[in-house]
Amino acid sequence: MTTRPRPGRRTSHDPAARTGGSHEGKRTMSKAEQILAGLGGDANIVDLEPCITRLRVEVEDPAKVTESVLKAAGAIAVMQQGTVVQVIVGPEADTLASDIEDLR
Amino acid sequence: MTLTVLAPVAGVVHALADVDDPVFAQEIVGPGLAVQPDAESGAGRSVVAPVAGTVAKLHPHAFVLLAEGGRGVLVHLGINTVQLGGEGFTLHVAEGDAVEQGQILVEWDPAAVEAGGRSAICPVVGLEAQPDSLTRLAEPGTRVVAGDPLLSLA
Repeated sequence: MTTRPRPGRRTSHDPAARTGGSHEGKRTMSKAEQILAGLGGDANIVDLEPCITRLRVEVEDPAKVTESVLKAAGAIAVMQQGTVVQVIVGPEADTLASDIEDLR
Repeated sequence: MTLTVLAPVAGVVHALADVDDPVFAQEIVGPGLAVQPDAESGAGRSVVAPVAGTVAKLHPHAFVLLAEGGRGVLVHLGINTVQLGGEGFTLHVAEGDAVEQGQILVEWDPAAVEAGGRSAICPVVGLEAQPDSLTRLAEPGTRVVAGDPLLSLA
């Protein structure tokens, strides 16, 4: 990944703005961190599980999900239905999900 | 080189657009076809490798094979079947295994999946393939057995 997250995307309710610096990358957030940020951060996630090409996530507040951040992180598509968000990431979904779990 | 993809299960061929899942129906992860197993007849229990290759990802209810040229083929057994947590699926291979085309990979019970209120339809997807690279070798509405040619990817 060469895309750098744009600082402007970080919003006040975005806990990844805090966790971003604590993990290894100081310059750029990892893909997992970006996705966590796009989902509204750890506190917004009720449940997250990988399903072969997608992350199925149940969120507390759908309004805190930022599709543009998820897409900037490499999501192919984002499907949102109520509190259920599916982030389509391709076959690396398993790896990403465990990376995200490590951050939580 | 053209990659022939076999039907992983027996059943009736459907367009991906018929699948009750927006990700598959809109071909977001790639183009393909789907096979609706004959749940009542008890057919469709054996799932065979649609292509020769390596098992890149294996869940009880879904797998990705990497075929020659690095092309990925995804087979998903039923819709929302991740929720079953693997119950009712018997795996005969492991992630990283090399498999032959037509080899039995998984056994499951499509009728039980349907009895649980989920669709047992099986999307077969050429991951990240261009839509125009796909040729249908079986048309929607026709019946296939596991191992019949389903589609080809240019």
